[in-house]
Amino acid sequence: MNWAGWRRVRQAVQILAFAFYIYLIFGVVEQRVAPPLSNIFFRLDPLSALGGMLASRQWITGLALALITVGLTVIIGRVWCGWICPLGSLLEWISFRSARQRAKNISQKLRGVKYFLLATSLAAALFGSLSLLALDPIAIFTRTLTTSILPGLFYGINSIEKALYHLNFLTPALDTFEGLVRGTTLPVEQPAFAQSLAIGMLFAGLVALNLLAHRFWCRYLCPLGALLGLLSKVSLLRPVIGSACTGCSRCARVCKPGAINPDPQNIEVMPSECTLCLDCMASCKPDDIRFRMARKPAAGQDFDLSRRQALGALASGVAGVLLLNTDLRLRQDNPWRIRPPGVTNEEAFLSNCLRCSQCIKICPTTALQPALTEAGLGGLWSPLVVPRVGYCDYGCTACGQVCPSGAIPLLALEEKRQVVIGKASIDKDRCLPWASGIPCIVCEEMCPTPQKSIRLEEANLIDSSGNTVTVLRPSVLRDLCIGCGICEHHCPLEGVAAIRIYRASS
Amino acid sequence: MKPLPPISRRNFLKLTATVAAGAALAGCAPKQSTNAPADTATTALKPTIPPSPTQATIGTTSAPPEPGPTESEPTEASPTAEPTPTNAPAYMAVAHGPDPAAITRAAVDALGGISSFVAAGYDVIIKPNICTGYHTPEYATTTNPTVVATLVSMCLEAGAERVRVMDYPFGGTAKSAYAISGITDAVEAAGGEMHVMSQAKYTQVEIPQGIDIRSVDIYPDVLEADLLINVPIAKSHDATRLTLGGKNLMGVILDRGMMHYNLGQRIADLTSLVQPELTVIDAVRILTAHGPTGGDLADVKQMDTVIASRDIVAADAYAATLFGLTGADIGYVQKSADMGLGTLDLSSINIQEINLG
Repeated sequence: MNWAGWRRVRQAVQILAFAFYIYLIFGVVEQRVAPPLSNIFFRLDPLSALGGMLASRQWITGLALALITVGLTVIIGRVWCGWICPLGSLLEWISFRSARQRAKNISQKLRGVKYFLLATSLAAALFGSLSLLALDPIAIFTRTLTTSILPGLFYGINSIEKALYHLNFLTPALDTFEGLVRGTTLPVEQPAFAQSLAIGMLFAGLVALNLLAHRFWCRYLCPLGALLGLLSKVSLLRPVIGSACTGCSRCARVCKPGAINPDPQNIEVMPSECTLCLDCMASCKPDDIRFRMARKPAAGQDFDLSRRQALGALASGVAGVLLLNTDLRLRQDNPWRIRPPGVTNEEAFLSNCLRCSQCIKICPTTALQPALTEAGLGGLWSPLVVPRVGYCDYGCTACGQVCPSGAIPLLALEEKRQVVIGKASIDKDRCLPWASGIPCIVCEEMCPTPQKSIRLEEANLIDSSGNTVTVLRPSVLRDLCIGCGICEHHCPLEGVAAIRIYRASS
Repeated sequence: MKPLPPISRRNFLKLTATVAAGAALAGCAPKQSTNAPADTATTALKPTIPPSPTQATIGTTSAPPEPGPTESEPTEASPTAEPTPTNAPAYMAVAHGPDPAAITRAAVDALGGISSFVAAGYDVIIKPNICTGYHTPEYATTTNPTVVATLVSMCLEAGAERVRVMDYPFGGTAKSAYAISGITDAVEAAGGEMHVMSQAKYTQVEIPQGIDIRSVDIYPDVLEADLLINVPIAKSHDATRLTLGGKNLMGVILDRGMMHYNLGQRIADLTSLVQPELTVIDAVRILTAHGPTGGDLADVKQMDTVIASRDIVAADAYAATLFGLTGADIGYVQKSADMGLGTLDLSSINIQEINLG
């Protein structure tokens, strides 16, 4: 097969990988049993693996698959970036003609930013903080799809359906559509997430950077790309321009990532920046750009971090951790900082959570929400249980199943049912029977524990009209309560529920 | 390659127009929903309204229901299947026996047979109680799958075109709760379909007889179906003491929180709107405490009983006696009786007790 043929193979692999990624994103709608492979992209991601293992100071077997990616990179270079990464593919497809001209005006030095980010992230990880893993490309894409793009899409579909249901002749067609997708591809409950607009706009901004240069993110910013770029400097096979070169520099012109130094005297492919798109090989008239064995590491580039810059990156990572850990929010014991089931130690959790959003994606009740500052800025986009939005389903263990790093432990259903994530507490000044003499026992009704963690006591009291009424008044049996939050979720009171889950003090 | 812009102006405008049209349609949604569905609902409701005891006489002329208990019950079923066409159809049938399928068939047969409910081409909805996705059927928190599947088979045998089974669980998602309850497997094996209620479809409908609530957002198919069979499981429930037929209807509305401000009357109001043509109460296993969610096998009592009636109030009143209560003890049953939706007086009606060993 010639290079043009291989290029088509690459495009096919990209499309397949992207489609598989999107399929997995949709595959977890409303499911309490995670589909196999649902977190495969994270498990293949060496940045997540390295960061996660550094910060938690343990070998995480689930992330060992990243060695495959490392191995491939050491053999042939950034094949992940050009062939597999779904964010990279998306950014490649959203391409602007005008970007080529603009990219010429961007200093090559800017490419160093990604190495700086990588060094900072890993330094922070070494000191126990994974906050910067939020910049992992797979995490960015998953988080944006989960909290922003998909909820918007679902809302749009629901709105259109609602409108079309008024046209009677369309009802059978809509019913058929509903039967095919509802509860499997489309969720029954409309998901809603904190910060959906903000996360969506950040993503839009990231895509808009493509106006400045092709795959701007991948070229200049991506810390995973930086890690793979460093590995590519020592890869066995590298695209090398052979002696038949006529100096036409066509290869440099077609190279979309700009990985070929166009200086005709010294024309060469920079392996750290090459995403193996094969365009240069396909365009080379003498057909003399080949993967060739190389023993020595690739030559350094202007934009590689100088020793001073590298130290600066490490220092800023460390300083960041020090400051994040002195965040007042961490000292104030936030009673609503409720973590997914099985998480016991907040500090260990933050050193283990990859900020990947997989748990948020799979939670069937959208109880899991991305944190903003509840756990300090360092806990940005880590998962929080927000019971008023959604309860922790008594029959579900999905978050533990998809968590690639084990930050949320994988629990059997029976174990998970015993796990305490918080404790309910009743606000007797607002609770309908306590405060107003109105009969209501929804919290007790919903309580899933077999012996009921809410006790009802009969009480005679005088209601607002002066009549003596007998009502059942709920109170929480603290020893039995597991804090699943279904009582808070279904409390019929408007606004803040009269029964709330507070973080269980350990 | 020609230097074409990624999207031409014309295409951009086309796309904009499409989106705008979609948005305009979406925009009119909330306004229309208050008016349009109301008339569709009331018209759809009318032909099916009164499940009066007299209706049962239709059953006398109908041929004996085709050999119901074919596979399972060759010996015991025949004596009970025969009395049905000869005797007048019962107002309520209570069947006891170890085989849930056989007692379900026997109970419905005693009411005049499924063919007194189903005509060829009918669109049938069966509403079991699938309140959560927590427990398997032995825990008696969700309706017995065999009872549901038997009703599906009977409707299909009687010529129904489609039988859909649906509920809206409050704990867990519909698909998972359907599966864990065992109802998905049983219903699909019987040829019925599990249906997920979509929020997009709920419409606001007026409750003409409503005393406390005058309108409700309801899943419209429940009102539009040719036949609605209400199949609750008899369970304890601390707010209402028991969750039976009337309480089971809460599964078809969107906002259940508001129901709790005056639960008994509001369930009665809802019952007046929905008025299922047939109520079959599953008391094969009953949950005697810690309902409706359950989870402790010690609270489960094997009763091997199925109660069937056109009168939801009478069926609930009878089921209450299994717990040592009466219909009058249960707020929504009493209120429904007050509204004339059925009778609480079990001594005044023809109850056929069937014992299948």
